Amino acid sequence: MPYDIVVLIKQIPDLELIKVNQSTEEPITDGVPFKFENLSKNSVEAAVRIKEKNGGKITAVLFGNEKGTQVMKEAYAMGVDEGILITGYSENNPVLTAKVLAQKIKQLHYDLVILGNQSADSMSGMVAGLVATELNLPLLSNAVSIEVTDKIVKVSTATEKDVIKLEATMPAVISVTQETNEPRFPPVLQIIKAGKKSISTEQSTVKIENTSKIISKKAPKSERKRLIFEDVDKGAQEVAKVLKEAMK
Amino acid sequence: MKFLIFSDIEDSAKQVMSFLKGKGDFVLYTTEKGESLTKYGAQKIVLLTGKPDVKGISSLLSDEFSSGGYDLVMIASTVLGRDIASLFSGQKSIEVIPEIFDIKFNSGTVTTKRYGLGGKAVIEEESKSKLFTFLSGLSDDVPGDGSSPIETKNIPEGVVKILAIEQKKAKEVNLEKANIIVAVGRGLGKIEGIQQIEPLVKAVRGELAGSRPVCLDYHWLSEDRQVGYSGRTVKPKAYVALGISGQIQHIAGMRGSKVVVAVNKDKNAPIFQEADYGIVGDLYQIVPKIVSYL
Repeated sequence: MPYDIVVLIKQIPDLELIKVNQSTEEPITDGVPFKFENLSKNSVEAAVRIKEKNGGKITAVLFGNEKGTQVMKEAYAMGVDEGILITGYSENNPVLTAKVLAQKIKQLHYDLVILGNQSADSMSGMVAGLVATELNLPLLSNAVSIEVTDKIVKVSTATEKDVIKLEATMPAVISVTQETNEPRFPPVLQIIKAGKKSISTEQSTVKIENTSKIISKKAPKSERKRLIFEDVDKGAQEVAKVLKEAMK
Repeated sequence: MKFLIFSDIEDSAKQVMSFLKGKGDFVLYTTEKGESLTKYGAQKIVLLTGKPDVKGISSLLSDEFSSGGYDLVMIASTVLGRDIASLFSGQKSIEVIPEIFDIKFNSGTVTTKRYGLGGKAVIEEESKSKLFTFLSGLSDDVPGDGSSPIETKNIPEGVVKILAIEQKKAKEVNLEKANIIVAVGRGLGKIEGIQQIEPLVKAVRGELAGSRPVCLDYHWLSEDRQVGYSGRTVKPKAYVALGISGQIQHIAGMRGSKVVVAVNKDKNAPIFQEADYGIVGDLYQIVPKIVSYL
């Protein structure tokens, strides 16, 4: 049977390109390009694999800013059918993000909601559970594999100690991990086609009370000595000395 | 101040209890049987039995929170812990400050620290939040000599069926306790390379570890040897990074090391920014040299 799937995707700043302002010690995010967050790619891939086997429609929802259109086009190229971009994202706030996403999802038809378990920038790991609560749906999280038959979805979850096999009746929320699959690189033709497809864009209207206020947001301090040897022999001698000291 | 703690990992439970000692009363809810957990001054330990359904556990904790006179909830950032915290936050409609590695208690507010931008920033914030997930490595493990009573509670079943639980292979190594860690990265190039690193590991009586790609993508080392944000957080006396570029994901797991040594072919590799001693060159040539000088 065909499955309608909502995939929640994310744009994040290209973390490796973030430099630090030496006088304020703050990381500089202005001008850093956005990219398609890795686990969002795993989420799209998981949805596309289900669609390829069973049919259905994939809708991607992205809560971000105007630059999210580029990410949405990549999602189209991977096999997403329809994209909704909600603008108005400012600081990381999982409760707000979940409310914005859930409000949109409620207007769509779906059997599954798929998203990443812990995105690479904020790493909160909270959104899947919060979305599941908002929608009052079962949560199958940290999936390393997903299987669908009729209205039943089975997921294997890897915790630190165990592999747990879970089963729920659809609709359900699934969060995926990096190990779930290997996201595809779409062929050039798909990318060109994707560039022409329209994206529906709207502004978020959800407001929540937030008691937290940021005191500082600085680069972590590194007070390392940074003695770098290009003379391998000299370096090895110095390092041996340090290691001997640490062995005491 | 009274804290409700949940951890399904023994080490994290011990660390948070060591951290909270003297700051208030606390009760530990856990799925771990360890008798050793009783030595950390908890008012009591509630052993949760039955299938580890995250919805069931969060509902149980949520009820206990309401009836037990608790002020704050600290949940270990583990696969199950994050789910439980997010469901708890949703059920109770309270905000959550996730992934904290430090917390101070003021009157009526808390000041917490967590990483943002994938570890490129430390976000220090003040809030009235009552719910937190905490990273491993919050504190050293300092057992006392008390003996907390243990009671058991059964986890209610939820709508998600738990069909089977298979234990992963037993943990081979306890990196958190190692004095010296020798860690390898992608720069090792091949699994066979590990044999050539072992003499160094032996000579310094250290433990072998790896970066995320080495442990999770290539499986050159087992998962429990992965150092990084998504792996273990370690603070050895010396950390030797061989062929590790120094992605922020990795740095977050070894930042607390006393001395950091890095060996890398690329002299612009970010790991050198996080190193006390660095050698630019081929690790296969450098490692035997270090061993010869030990």
